[in-house]
Amino acid sequence: MEFETGRTPAIQITPRQRWSIALTYLLLAVGFVLGVNQRDSALNQASIYSNLEAGFTASYPARWLLEEAGAYVFRVRDMSHRGFNTVIEVSTAPVGADTSERNILDQLSLQRSQTLTDYTVLGYAPYLLPDDSPAISMSYSFVARDSSPFQEGLSAVVNGLDILSIRRGQAVIVAFRAEASIYRRELETLRWFMQNLEF
Amino acid sequence: MSSGIRYQSSPEQQGAYSILPVWRRLVSLLLVLAAALLMIVLVGEFLGVRLEPPVERVASLALTPFALALWLLISVLPEYRMERPRRRLIGVAVVSALTASAIGLPLAQDFMRVSEWLPLQSVFQRVLGYSLSVGVIDTGLKFVVMRYLIYPQALRVRSDAIAYAAASAIGYGAFLSIAFIWRLAPAWDIAAVYLLANLAVQLASSLFIALGIIESYFSDAPLLVLPVNVAVGALTSGVISALLGGFLSGPLTTAGNTARPLFAFAMLLAALALTIGTVYFLYSNSERREREAYMSGWAPDGI
Repeated sequence: MEFETGRTPAIQITPRQRWSIALTYLLLAVGFVLGVNQRDSALNQASIYSNLEAGFTASYPARWLLEEAGAYVFRVRDMSHRGFNTVIEVSTAPVGADTSERNILDQLSLQRSQTLTDYTVLGYAPYLLPDDSPAISMSYSFVARDSSPFQEGLSAVVNGLDILSIRRGQAVIVAFRAEASIYRRELETLRWFMQNLEF
Repeated sequence: MSSGIRYQSSPEQQGAYSILPVWRRLVSLLLVLAAALLMIVLVGEFLGVRLEPPVERVASLALTPFALALWLLISVLPEYRMERPRRRLIGVAVVSALTASAIGLPLAQDFMRVSEWLPLQSVFQRVLGYSLSVGVIDTGLKFVVMRYLIYPQALRVRSDAIAYAAASAIGYGAFLSIAFIWRLAPAWDIAAVYLLANLAVQLASSLFIALGIIESYFSDAPLLVLPVNVAVGALTSGVISALLGGFLSGPLTTAGNTARPLFAFAMLLAALALTIGTVYFLYSNSERREREAYMSGWAPDGI
């Protein structure tokens, strides 16, 4: 048997119930702020990479995958992103006395245009490194397909930014690539990475 | 609460007031839905039946309207055969679904970006993270919907809060199910698990919100009872969400890892049974206390 409490339809809530509702809103707001805080601490957690032989020390997002085996000194990738994984790749190349930064970027473009679909250079711009030394940046875009032929998926438009600096007879190239839809947001990660990169 | 009117109803009186009993309807709905979804999971798991991709997509998307149709058939339409139906059930479900679409999902996916950092955390961090992100967002939004649509204007009896909470959970969960199934295009049996998961998560948190509202409104409980119940709702939502991934994914072997929909299904059923059992126990206990207080000539509002 159900015990029921009938009420007049226009009944007002009591001050205690009003306070209770206000406390609930307050609790939800506090919970939300704690959630944002936990998100930020998880997303901004950093790991340190150090390669004394190549002369690099860098901080990178702890949840990103670090790789060293390849035609680069090291690279870090955001494997949690569906589709094209955002990547920051650091590589070096020897340069001659009369080689300019632009020569190296043109060489890179030539190589990429043969391997990347619809590779297009969008522009060049001067870039100031955190220690105020000058560098040059090249922005570009291409279309990336899934590397596995067994996986179905749409091609993704990828935006890239190369930052090149010549030091001690070698060119240091930081290549950053992210899907066009999240490129602007991910640029923050690149800025943070550059601020903590030592070479 | 001085303007409240109290009475103890006998079965005959209940007939006179003609208010649809809610718990039996809710359990019937869940049993029928769980049986139908279990059939789908079993067919996929043991018979290995796979539909053609376009057919499977349509069949997966049709699961959510099927759940909504069951709810309309079992819980909503019978209301209109009563003298005093709960007229806002559909309104609460629709507003909850719109809230999920306009605020809940964008906030969880684009602002909190839960898929980027939560799955990589430890179990404890996942429970905490899901509770503070998805749990707080979903529970908070449903609380706001119930606060402004039914509390207190549509509350005549305790079971009203349960019925409206279930409506809110079904509306909110239905939108999330459609969004997930549309985006991820899972196999039919996995879509069935997604549907049950969304329903379980939303129903669990909604029932605790309802319990808080009942205690606060009908028993004039202490200040903290409502917020604590809402917090428990968010925590329950977080626990189920955090555990679901582990139950659904099989162990990683040399042959890869496969989904285990039956494990996830069993976990969700257990979570639903535990939540409903707990809320029903607290609900009955509160009702019994009030009845005893009434019988002894004392009531919290002094009548």
